[in-house]
Amino acid sequence: MSEFEFQRFVTIGQYLPTGSVVHRLDPRTRLLGGLLLLLAITLTPRLSGLALGLIVVLTITVLARVPLGYALRGVVPSLPFILFLALLQVLLGPGSAETTPLFSWGPIHISVTSLISGATIPPRFGGLILLLTILSASTSTTEMVLGLERLLRPVGRLGLPIQDFVLMIQVALRFLPLLAREAERIAKSQASRGAEWGTGRGGLLRRTRQALPILVPLFLVSLQRAEALAMAMEARGYRSDGRRTSMVALNFRRGDYLALLLSLIASAVILVA
Amino acid sequence: MAPFIVVENVSYTYGARSAATRKPQTSGASGGRGTTGSAALSPSTPALHGISLEVTAGEYLALIGANGSGKSTLARHLNALLIPDEGRVLVAGMDTRDVAQHPAIRRLVGMVFQRPEDQTVATVVEHDVAFGPENLGLPRDEIRARVRAALETVGLWDERDRPPHMLSVGQMQRLALAGVLAVRPQCIIFDEATAMLDPAGRHTVHTLMRDLNQEGITIIAITHLMEEAVHARRVIALHAGSVALDGPPDVVFGDAARLSNIGLGLPGAAAIALALQSALPDLPRALLTPEALAAALQKYAPAATSQPRPDRTHAAPRVPVDGGAMPVPPDSGPHIIEASGLGHVYMRDTPFARRAIENADLSVAESGAHGLVGATGSGKSTLLQHLNGLLRPQEGTLQVGQYALHDAATDLRAVRRLVGLVFQTPENQIFEQYVGDEIAYGPRLAGLDGEPLRERVRWAMDLVGLDFEGFKDRFTFALSGGEKRKVALASTLALRPQVLLLDEPTAGLDPASRTELLQHLHRLRQTGVTIVLSSHQMEDVAELVTHVTVLANGRSVSEGPVADILGEAHRLADWGLEQPLASRVARALQAQAWPLVPGIVTESQLVASIRRCLELTR
Repeated sequence: MSEFEFQRFVTIGQYLPTGSVVHRLDPRTRLLGGLLLLLAITLTPRLSGLALGLIVVLTITVLARVPLGYALRGVVPSLPFILFLALLQVLLGPGSAETTPLFSWGPIHISVTSLISGATIPPRFGGLILLLTILSASTSTTEMVLGLERLLRPVGRLGLPIQDFVLMIQVALRFLPLLAREAERIAKSQASRGAEWGTGRGGLLRRTRQALPILVPLFLVSLQRAEALAMAMEARGYRSDGRRTSMVALNFRRGDYLALLLSLIASAVILVA
Repeated sequence: MAPFIVVENVSYTYGARSAATRKPQTSGASGGRGTTGSAALSPSTPALHGISLEVTAGEYLALIGANGSGKSTLARHLNALLIPDEGRVLVAGMDTRDVAQHPAIRRLVGMVFQRPEDQTVATVVEHDVAFGPENLGLPRDEIRARVRAALETVGLWDERDRPPHMLSVGQMQRLALAGVLAVRPQCIIFDEATAMLDPAGRHTVHTLMRDLNQEGITIIAITHLMEEAVHARRVIALHAGSVALDGPPDVVFGDAARLSNIGLGLPGAAAIALALQSALPDLPRALLTPEALAAALQKYAPAATSQPRPDRTHAAPRVPVDGGAMPVPPDSGPHIIEASGLGHVYMRDTPFARRAIENADLSVAESGAHGLVGATGSGKSTLLQHLNGLLRPQEGTLQVGQYALHDAATDLRAVRRLVGLVFQTPENQIFEQYVGDEIAYGPRLAGLDGEPLRERVRWAMDLVGLDFEGFKDRFTFALSGGEKRKVALASTLALRPQVLLLDEPTAGLDPASRTELLQHLHRLRQTGVTIVLSSHQMEDVAELVTHVTVLANGRSVSEGPVADILGEAHRLADWGLEQPLASRVARALQAQAWPLVPGIVTESQLVASIRRCLELTR
């Protein structure tokens, strides 16, 4: 494996057409069901609920025929961040009044409660990233835009710029893999000029210092890309205030009601478990 | 009949509107004024300068000009993507300054851009084509019908369910065209739409342009390739934001001196004709295509019977661009690069896994010049990135100098000091503010400092023809496209690599910058540096290298001296390539019994051989 394949770790925003049951659902079902599970996993206070949540997400992954190893890889880049958060939670998290700390030193108190709340962080974040990966792997941008537009239509009646918001999401999703590819190109070109990329050497400080020469061109290139994309869309007649139609028809079938019902039940169980 | 598009005395300066509070007298103190290509960032230089022209419905128009002459800026005024600062643009009578008319204008004038990936908005081919008609608010059945018709026109109907990024670059560009066609415009602008394509891909797009024009659609093609411009019925050459030349191709390309003044050149056939003028004073002037040139030369063909066929051992004289002698190293010299059975799969073990090369072989002689040719997606860039250790061989073996790259213990930094790689459009990766710092980045990392560093930067800048004192403190962003390319090249050369890898070095450069770059590469060769070059431009390959490896679908399918490989028209066509122009003319002349030497690949070889034939008959 090459150290330059940044794209390998960008799983959110990659559409993977496998033609599975999940892919055949109405996009609104996927968005609403995803949102329910997202809220449940975010809000459930207990480890048992999280465990259940993870099982549900993994089941959906299998149903969507997204390779498990691939989906899990998306969690890898945020792993250090997640572990850091968990550590903070353990060290500085609020212990409740009735439990005595196991260990105390200055402002640091480690209690059973803080240990448990620290332990909930990795499965919580892991589950969320996995869920977003499955959602974007099973939903083409067209479906995403269409689904969001329909779902948000009531909000649009209040005069909020729904189409702009939906477009923003669409462009952001399209940009993630593109940015990964550009970063890869820039890193490669600098490695060719003697930077320590891809040699498996260099300490943390050195690696951080290298990030700067990548960020400047990456920033410029992404601005150029955004401008080019905006221009191409404008040239093809896109207007945020325009009335658009769609080639794809959405229809809510029996399977969609069933899937929605199932995610509602699953979310409720995750919350109270 | 009223003209379809009217451009009246239009001036446009990038940033002029947003910088309205700026004092108008503060012109660029950085010396950025007058440089081309920097228009987007130096507000004091107008990109368009009082330009006027008219386009009639149904025209086939080519727009040419050096980097930064205002071609793209002009094109973007024609469908109201940009609004003139001064003057006005009328499209079918509608003024582009009137925002209410923009939807109607963009319905009439569509645009295909240079980079296909910047134009796709959806993750499914079919959905992407539907984007335009959806914006028009058409009913669903009408959208379906138009999407189908557009995809069938460009030959992508069978790919309708695939994600665009799984298509080849050529297919993606046809997808972009389908997206425009589905709106049913009356005029299509191609903004350097063929620059990223291989010869076969370019040919397909040209045929589409011609067919669409015959159906009555106005075509405006922006291009750096003069060979492309000759297919149009009218050519407009821009210089510094104004029209320099405007007329039928034979008139515009009849003015060689003026073209050269504005950074342009002649199409290959016309350049050959001009070089023959002294030997053949009555040769017609307007010979723009290889076919026309060969036909015009027919009457001068020496009688075949009176001339013995030249001895096959006489190879064509190699005359490099700068006129100096070029050493042709023997094929059997020591090899500095030896790759055998290389294979690479991108995103291995993921659902997006894609094989880029398979069982590829490559040998490059020490101090040699080697070309990698092949259609887009044939694996040229992947192979190049193996040669300096950016990619590790997944399969096969690779020896570069004393380093075995298939061995995980090899010090990749040492390999990269030995082998420098200049990426495609390297100017996009410049990150320092000053030219000098950008070039010093590599040597500084290698530990150079003070006077030796200064000397190294000076040496590298000399090699690419940048004046050290004049350029070291210039802002990188204010350079022209050609100058930026030189800075990028110098920043790799500053590491003193023994091997230089170049990925499409001339892509996107105007003719003058291209010629200059090729000359510098020639000089570099003479210092003993080994060059490996990948290119879609067979003319560049012919000018610069002695040996060629052909890649097709990731495999190395042929290898040999440049004249042998580029001499085989039919096999090249099978690989999505074509012969260089000089070889095509030579083949046509040989069919007329001209006793030319075999193995002609460059224009200068062809001219020398024709002259020799003429002298012998006298």
